[in-house]
Amino acid sequence: MANAHVDTAQTDTEVKTPSTWSIIWREIVRDKVALISLIFLVGTTGFVYGISMFLEQSEIVTVDLFAINEAPSEQFWLGTDYGGRDIFGQLIIGTRNSLSIGILVTLMTGVIGVVYGLVSGYYGGTVDNIMMRIVDFFLILPFLMIVIVFVAIVPKYSIWSFSLIMTAFLWMGIARLIRSKALQERELDYAQASKTLGTSNFKIMFTQVLPNLSSLIIVTMTLNLAANIGLESGLSFLGFGFPETTPSLGTLLGYARNPQTLEFHWWVWVPAAVLIFLLMLAVRNVGEALKRATDARQRRG
Amino acid sequence: MGFLEVNDLKVHFPIRGGILNRKIGAIRAVDGVSFSIEEGKTYGLVGESGSGKTTTGRAIIGLNHITSGQVMFEGKDLTSKKSKTQHVRKDIQMIFQDPYSSLNAKKRVLDIVAEPLRNYEKLTKIEEKLRVQELLEQVGLNPESILKYPHEFSGGQRQRIGIARAIALKPKLIIADEPVSALDVSVQAQVLNFMQEIQKELNLTYLFISHDLGIVKHMCDDIGIMYKGRYVEEGTKQDIFNNPQHIYTKRLVAAIPDIDPQNRQKQKHLRDEVQMEYQQYYNDYFDNEGLAYRLRNISDSHLVALPEKG
Amino acid sequence: MWKFIVRRLLITLPQIVLLSILVFVMAQMMPGDALTGLIDPNIDPAAIEEQREKMGLNDPWYIQYGDWISSALQGDLGQSFRFKMPVTDLVEQRLINSFWLGLVTLIFTYIIAIPLGITSGRYNDTMRDQLITGYTYIGFATPLFIFALVMLWVGGFQLGWFPTGGSVAPGLEPGTFEYALSKFQHLLLPGLSMALITTVNTVQYLRSEIIDTKQKDFIVTARAKGASESRVYNRHILRNSLLPIAAYFGFEITGLIGGTVFIETIYSYPGMGLLFMDSVLQRDYSVVTAVVLLFGIASILGALLSDIILSLVDPRIRIK
Repeated sequence: MANAHVDTAQTDTEVKTPSTWSIIWREIVRDKVALISLIFLVGTTGFVYGISMFLEQSEIVTVDLFAINEAPSEQFWLGTDYGGRDIFGQLIIGTRNSLSIGILVTLMTGVIGVVYGLVSGYYGGTVDNIMMRIVDFFLILPFLMIVIVFVAIVPKYSIWSFSLIMTAFLWMGIARLIRSKALQERELDYAQASKTLGTSNFKIMFTQVLPNLSSLIIVTMTLNLAANIGLESGLSFLGFGFPETTPSLGTLLGYARNPQTLEFHWWVWVPAAVLIFLLMLAVRNVGEALKRATDARQRRG
Repeated sequence: MGFLEVNDLKVHFPIRGGILNRKIGAIRAVDGVSFSIEEGKTYGLVGESGSGKTTTGRAIIGLNHITSGQVMFEGKDLTSKKSKTQHVRKDIQMIFQDPYSSLNAKKRVLDIVAEPLRNYEKLTKIEEKLRVQELLEQVGLNPESILKYPHEFSGGQRQRIGIARAIALKPKLIIADEPVSALDVSVQAQVLNFMQEIQKELNLTYLFISHDLGIVKHMCDDIGIMYKGRYVEEGTKQDIFNNPQHIYTKRLVAAIPDIDPQNRQKQKHLRDEVQMEYQQYYNDYFDNEGLAYRLRNISDSHLVALPEKG
Repeated sequence: MWKFIVRRLLITLPQIVLLSILVFVMAQMMPGDALTGLIDPNIDPAAIEEQREKMGLNDPWYIQYGDWISSALQGDLGQSFRFKMPVTDLVEQRLINSFWLGLVTLIFTYIIAIPLGITSGRYNDTMRDQLITGYTYIGFATPLFIFALVMLWVGGFQLGWFPTGGSVAPGLEPGTFEYALSKFQHLLLPGLSMALITTVNTVQYLRSEIIDTKQKDFIVTARAKGASESRVYNRHILRNSLLPIAAYFGFEITGLIGGTVFIETIYSYPGMGLLFMDSVLQRDYSVVTAVVLLFGIASILGALLSDIILSLVDPRIRIK
């Protein structure tokens, strides 16, 4: 790659080279599965956020005792649940809420994990040792149970406290990954060179080393997004995510904990199950394509 | 008072082990090295890999922790608290061995060369751009290429970018750590000659670290030979090349290839002879641990590590 | 070797202490205390206060922590306010149920993973491999609880092949063959649902491990020396790829614990996970605290076990 440009380097005028983003874009367009997944994701996201602007959440979650557990019909495209609430509307708002919290948690864990891992790996030595023992401890906790307990005991429970609780126990994976990469990067000459040029450690970490980890961060965060959507729906399914008044894909599935609903009212939970599956599959596809794009050895074209 | 004086420099790396990971020993990468460099001269630090030459250079610029000893630069002690020496550090810069990893692949040439300027000089965007273009021109690169990324340049060009970055702050001393050993032989001479040109132009002093005696002969005024963290011989270029005293130096000098095919037989014979001598007298020149003795003067400029005996 | 094990043990102790502190803090944050579950709310507040003083509930936190941890060490985890019985007794039966579920799941996991992983790695990029990779691809994207729901719906309700809840059919005498059989029947579907999803990690690990090992020089050498294909696989490749897998089972415990919460809830299987869920919902916090503490210790010990086995199997680990 480097050689192709050597001859022209001296003669060209101010030209820009393909950035990381354009390489990634090219790779995704070439990968049909990833492209379809991306279109599906963008489409779904646009659709649910767009439609939900016209839908009234409080109206959808209002109990209607005259339309309990109705099968799909022209009035209720996907039927109604045990409170007579429209499944289709809940599905739209639920997808929006699930996506929002997935993105929010991914971003928050990403920021914490990246900063933590970067500091730990960059300084190395004792600092790294102590910081990594903390990560080890967090990783070993029975995470799901602790999250459930916190959700159950936190007063004034809201979407924000829910995502904060999830974040508190989900930042370690990315921190570990970034740390091991930062440990390698700091030994490279460019980081050493920055030191001799009088650049502060803080600046080297965030302006020199961080850009070199960007592709790793993008890939990890995408794959984390899939995991977080799954986790949110799992917690909501158990009844410790969103409350029923704030539908998510998980709360719809939660109705299936009632054997009656599971057995006889499939329309309540099957669409949500299919949607979660498709969303996670699509996000993973995009994530895997990104992984290939950022790893020159695996690149397809 | 010298320009750069290094007194009894020691850099030891701890070896950790045991259950609690305590320090159980040390690797003596640099073990009592002293030398001084005059302003405007090129001082060559020579040795095989692992001899501690790179560690010495990195310790002087502050990349390795100094265990003990003194580094005096223009009369200021660099080993004292870092904060006091911050402005001194800008007078010492470094050129790295590997032109591929020493430039951040994610940064444009403009950002790479401007990095030291942004740390020490408050320039406006336009001043900074002009200054970078000026520097690129000075190192023989197209000033229009400031928006390119390092991978678009060849090895020799990248090393020039590294040099542009090193001279951006108009330093007095440049530590060049094997600056050409990662380059093709054809490009090596180009970069070396260019380094000599800017030395004259900017009145630079070089600490030139290399394992290649041929290059050192070409570049340096004074030379120090290191082996296992210690000096074995130090002197002017003439001292070392025409009158090597230590057996290790003799072997190194004998190993310089001679391009004249006429001398090939003679050269081979000489090398065999030195090799014989080296094996025969090894114990006379090194102590029980295989380390060099203390340096002793054999002339004003020439020091050799010889045993204490008469 | 022993150095690594001692160092690893030294890390484990503070981990358990930290866990206990965390659990204690959590318990303190929960509304109500040990007394709330015990007494009649109609009693005079002054008497309650007196009782609190007597039980040490007004002491500073570190004394309370000391009391709590020392009684926990003696096997006293407090009283369940819902069941009006000691938590230790309550947990015992549930623990046995969860143990069986975990065991069956682990066995299924390996029964599925090993042949699939070996086939997929040995015949990579063939039709068989593509089928298996397709399965792991789907498995990675499917959340456990959705898969378990579908399995219950299909296998339990639509087809009616499996029981849909409980750990044993009612009315059977413990100790009889029918009892054991019924227990096993109740374990099958939950264990299988969990194993089919958790196994994909192992399948994929085994596959890439085998493909990696296949190209190593010592395998090429073995072939060059004329070893038969089955000998190459049985003696050389599998030995190198299967041992780490066997060692990972300690780490699986952490995953299993998360899984049991979902699986036991969905299949209403009376194990620790279901006990935990019920107790949280009923605000029976002394039980909740005990379950979290026990599961936490279980995963710490699981990781310890795996690390030690791994260090025996793979000398590279020891150097860290």
